[in-house]
Amino acid sequence: MKSTKFWAVLIAALLAVSLAASFLLLNSRSGSADAAVYQNGELLRTIDLSRVTAPYSFTVDGPAGVNAILVEPGRICVSHADCPDQICVHQGWISNSVVPIVCLPNQLVIQITGSARPNDIDGVTK
Amino acid sequence: MKVSVPLSALLALLLLASCAAPSAAGGQSHTVTLLAMDTVMELTASGEGSEAALEEASALIARLESLLSVTDEDSEIYAANHSGGAPVPLSGDTARLLEQALDLCGDIGGALDVTVYPVVRAWGFTTGRYQVPEEDALSGLLQLVDHTRISLEDGVLTVPDGMELDLGAVAKGYTGDRILDLFRSSGVTSALLDLGGNLQTLGAKPDGSPWRIAIQDPVGEGYAGVVEVENKAVITSGGYERYFEEDGVVYWHIIDPATGCPARSGLLSVTIVADSGALGDALSTALFVMGRERAGDYWRSRGGFDFILLGEDGTVTITEGLEDSFSLYGDWSDHELEVIRR
Repeated sequence: MKSTKFWAVLIAALLAVSLAASFLLLNSRSGSADAAVYQNGELLRTIDLSRVTAPYSFTVDGPAGVNAILVEPGRICVSHADCPDQICVHQGWISNSVVPIVCLPNQLVIQITGSARPNDIDGVTK
Repeated sequence: MKVSVPLSALLALLLLASCAAPSAAGGQSHTVTLLAMDTVMELTASGEGSEAALEEASALIARLESLLSVTDEDSEIYAANHSGGAPVPLSGDTARLLEQALDLCGDIGGALDVTVYPVVRAWGFTTGRYQVPEEDALSGLLQLVDHTRISLEDGVLTVPDGMELDLGAVAKGYTGDRILDLFRSSGVTSALLDLGGNLQTLGAKPDGSPWRIAIQDPVGEGYAGVVEVENKAVITSGGYERYFEEDGVVYWHIIDPATGCPARSGLLSVTIVADSGALGDALSTALFVMGRERAGDYWRSRGGFDFILLGEDGTVTITEGLEDSFSLYGDWSDHELEVIRR
């Protein structure tokens, strides 16, 4: 039979967690920039670029080979790709949600959501 | 063991609030991102019935792609292109789009031809295996470029043996138009479609202000200009979108149907602002082929749209209808801006 103190501490901890969770959820629309990495339409992972401190990279396999993705604080790019046209690599870094990085041969899409976009532009025609 | 009632009640309340917050904070705007027609599409809709409308739009896109694709062996276009000159019946959507496309080809008089596909393929733009075709191969293929030889009667299409149709130049614009029809009848009041760089809008933004659409800088990373629109399609064509270099010469994917070679008209990009996406799509390609002078003449004779031309010499040319809604941006702010009037 656990002591009252144990339960008090546990409840306090749960309270703190749910307070924090509410706070984060209610504020999730401002200031964060989540990069969503899709492969073949499936979401592989979401990276909160605003919380990245040190650069790192990871790879994604697709029908046309490998894409190497480099993540830095606030931005993301495809640093290497096996695809023939290299459009994804030439695109360079993105740091806002206006344009995604796309590697069609590998069915890869990196799309940033969140409010880290130039707030005077709604879309880009290209 | 006793836990105070107020404390547990507060805990429960906070846990519930955490679940409810996303939908409360999310509001009425919904976005769907998908891959289709060889490109990324992002559809955003606000208002009654947005979520359901977006789902229907996804299904509509898939259906249109299966009808129109020039490479999908099950598509109606593929069937007509490989029928050896035999007539092929078309479904409503395909027939409607093809009729619009053929009418535009006729109206534009040479700068747009939906039968230019065999030439585009000879340059490798369809496969990524780029090459400069031999001159005699090109002359041979040019014999197959002639939209007037396509027969479309009562929904039955006949493509002469050896010729090939491709509706790629208008398919995305037509798809956008059909999606917006669907949205309107679903009660959606505000929407923004980005179909592989083709922007189409319904109404104004949810806050009532116009949509601000930037034009990609063809030679830089940022934007050359911004145009404010409501209920308009804003569609751009430019050589910078797809090109290759060989022996120091740049060759791009916008082919002049008259020569079979990349159109070199002195323009970097053409942006059309129009009510219809299909029209915007077709004209952006055609006016790129035409160049500044012919584009101006065509606009004066036909009207019904506006344009923004970005020239190789850095000059920006707009039609007078955009005078109040267009502004230069970033690196292009100090470029020369000329306004064409009737």
